[in-house]
Amino acid sequence: MEGSVKPKAVPPASPVVAWRWWLMVLLTCAGIGVAGYLSYTHLFELPVICGESQECDLVAQSVYAKMFGIPVAVFGLLAYVALLILLIARRRIGENLEAYVTLAVFGIALFGVLFSLYLTYLELFVILAVCVWCVASALIMTALFVLSIWEVKSVNP
Amino acid sequence: MSSKGSSPHQMRRGPVARKRGVTTAQIILVVGAVVVAVALLIVLNSTRLHRATEAALAYPTGVTQTGNPYKGSPDASLKMEVYSDFLCGYCADLANVLEAISADYIETGKLQVIFRNFAFLTPESVQAAQASLCALDQGPARFWQYHDLLYASRGGGMAAYSTVRLKGYAQELGLDVEAFSRCLDSRAKAAQVQADLDAGRQAGVDGTPTWFLNGQKRVGAISESDLRNLLDSLLPK
Repeated sequence: MEGSVKPKAVPPASPVVAWRWWLMVLLTCAGIGVAGYLSYTHLFELPVICGESQECDLVAQSVYAKMFGIPVAVFGLLAYVALLILLIARRRIGENLEAYVTLAVFGIALFGVLFSLYLTYLELFVILAVCVWCVASALIMTALFVLSIWEVKSVNP
Repeated sequence: MSSKGSSPHQMRRGPVARKRGVTTAQIILVVGAVVVAVALLIVLNSTRLHRATEAALAYPTGVTQTGNPYKGSPDASLKMEVYSDFLCGYCADLANVLEAISADYIETGKLQVIFRNFAFLTPESVQAAQASLCALDQGPARFWQYHDLLYASRGGGMAAYSTVRLKGYAQELGLDVEAFSRCLDSRAKAAQVQADLDAGRQAGVDGTPTWFLNGQKRVGAISESDLRNLLDSLLPK
């Protein structure tokens, strides 16, 4: 390894396994894509591309698509952006705070999963329409949550 | 991988003193806080939705002697009778324009809007028209809320007015879903929707939206500014 020749700009922090970190970053970026697209269509009042089904618009135009005047998709976008910032920060922040950042990632992912669960419940039992974008976001968030449990385990001695 | 650290990265790091970890208590604290926060958010949101659907509309509503819902004061000098199909895009446009001028004309008692179903486009139109009258059974304000939600959901396409969806909208608005479903499933409003259609044809309606402003017939949507001008020209000086 050339590690001794040229120090790496971003040394992987100790308990973080590189592939898991990369997977989480990748999932977070996918989440930003999905939530970003839904926020974009909501803010500019565009129809949502949904394949054969027209259920995305049913969901996106329902009264449940907004919470306290803010589109739910924007909440999701904020959560994914926060996760990405924390994930990147964790590699730079030094060992003292690393564990807490890991815990924060876990907390946000847990929040995201519970919230997605609520939204999926609304889709299935109240709005009676399922939007694939929303399901995609829920799955991404669930995967992030599972990975973050793993991470927390590794900083909980 | 465990935190015991056997990766080459860690080995290179050399003898790191103490690694800070998080305690189980801290994890439990975070889980608890998050669960409470989500629960609070859900409760706040559902009470907010409930209040929103129960909130009184900003204008008076009622039912005419012919059984048609209206909004705006019956004493208004301007009366607008609108024949609409819930599947018709221009009808949705007109409904939006009426919503936009509501604060200046309907809420101020200058204009009364009377809604008449003219469900002629597809079987789903008839279904939606019947559903709107089932909502009317629960009060004229409920009808207008349901009317607004139907037009807002029209973008969902034909499937937007399937029986399941129509009941879903009723639930969304907090209507008595059981009564609503009974009304819709038994096709209790079929005769009235047909009668409205016949009455419309008799009045010379053959497309939607057709509207009569103080008896004068007009066809199609209208821009907000044009409607404002038209209404102003008819208002007593």
